[in-house]
Amino acid sequence: MPAKGVQVPHGTDIRIEGVRLALGDDPPVPVLGGVDLQVPAGTVTAIVGPSGCGKSTLLDVVAGLAAPDAGTITGAGSVALMPQRDALMPWLTLRANIALGAELAGASRDDAGRRAEEAIARLGLTGFADHYPHALSGGMRQRAALARTLLAARPAWLLDEPFGALDALTRTGMHDVLRDLMAEVRPTVLLVTHDIAEAVALADRVLVAGPRPMAIIADIDAGPGIDGAQAADAVMTALRTAGALA
Amino acid sequence: MSTAGHRQPVSATAPGGSTMPRRRLRRLLPVLILPLLAIAAWQVAIWVAAPREWMLPSPAAVAEAGWDARERLWFHAQWTLLISVIALLITAAAGAALAYVIARSRMARLAIYPWVIVSQVIPLVALAPLLVLWLPSFAAILVLAVLMSIFPVIVAGVDGLGGTHRDLIRAARGLGASDGWAWRHVRVPAALPRLFTGLRMAAVFVVSGAVVGELVASDRGLGALTRLSAGQFETPLTFAAVVLLALIGLGLFGVVALAERLALPWTRRSTRPRSRS
Repeated sequence: MPAKGVQVPHGTDIRIEGVRLALGDDPPVPVLGGVDLQVPAGTVTAIVGPSGCGKSTLLDVVAGLAAPDAGTITGAGSVALMPQRDALMPWLTLRANIALGAELAGASRDDAGRRAEEAIARLGLTGFADHYPHALSGGMRQRAALARTLLAARPAWLLDEPFGALDALTRTGMHDVLRDLMAEVRPTVLLVTHDIAEAVALADRVLVAGPRPMAIIADIDAGPGIDGAQAADAVMTALRTAGALA
Repeated sequence: MSTAGHRQPVSATAPGGSTMPRRRLRRLLPVLILPLLAIAAWQVAIWVAAPREWMLPSPAAVAEAGWDARERLWFHAQWTLLISVIALLITAAAGAALAYVIARSRMARLAIYPWVIVSQVIPLVALAPLLVLWLPSFAAILVLAVLMSIFPVIVAGVDGLGGTHRDLIRAARGLGASDGWAWRHVRVPAALPRLFTGLRMAAVFVVSGAVVGELVASDRGLGALTRLSAGQFETPLTFAAVVLLALIGLGLFGVVALAERLALPWTRRSTRPRSRS
């Protein structure tokens, strides 16, 4: 069960309908070409697609950091975004970085500090609370970033290549950490990744994105009871069909 | 025989003992190489060319003149130091504020930034006589010192505020931070290391500015002393004043570097944990 005091609302649906977005002015470059997808409450959906296809931009739109030119998003405003790499503030200690999630969610400084201590213990970071991020390993920083996302107390998480910068061994360990956390908290998760194995291992569904301007070209079931190898094959076939895989 | 019990004893001097001064000495020696070589070349030039002392005094004559005039030097040095410190504080505050406004507002960037750059094309030394006409001596010197030192602070600040890593801002905004919050709590602290780089440069320029002002507009300060002593062919004293000016610049640079070290502990790499990965 979640650490005492860490209260996260239960999942919420994320529904994205006909979202289009062009970036730049001279001339505008279409990045999102009419994206439709739905992430049911409490489930994990992964988006796999070629580099630069607009996956991160889609997360920015869902998080409210960019306004779409067209389309509607339901569930925006209840999401916490965890960007690529750990994006911990280098000038804050591990404890302060984690507490930031709670402070931005409206907790008082004392309450945020207390929750941060609990999350530190929960994620196996005890003894490192007063260290600055540069003094920690990639895996520890990533765990701290997860703790910060957890303390934001949002019912939906947007994870943008969260483990892309980690080595294979650490990444596998982080999959276990994330899986445990998701089993406890049951957030609605939209995960963007390059890694097909990661998508299949963590998600209930894998959506395959085509090249820019991005649209969803395949929806593959990867939930419990589905053979992972078969799901990965289906993802690769869809990517190959879209010309995104050699 | 087991070797486990026969480890070499650790040197008694190793942990913070007499090796520390030796280590410091090893670090200090390379710093002294250039000045020692310069003094040696200077002394050789004196021996070879034997110039008159008012043309080029020997290092020993400079040292002697400096010691003899130590009270006079100290009197003028205090004045230069006071002006330099006040100007540096004004430069830091005004430079950081201008950098924030320029980085934050597109209108300010268009309206102010180009003129900040143009202001550096004007030889500020040429402004000194005008400033003396318009302002009391102390204020004129202060303005000149600020004008000569503020540019690197503004440029470093603007670059620092504009160059914050995108993911840091995304992380904060993605957790619900407002744009204003992200500016205050992400962009500003992220810009501090670059701002301090600008301040370290300013610490040196501010002394030059003060000296230029004193040369033109004052009978106090080491700048004024160099003018007066050179005019009276007291060249050894002029040299001593110049050496003192260099030391003041070095000292201010060191104070800013120390402030940076204290204010930005996360930029130090000494807090690495010993275990766990």
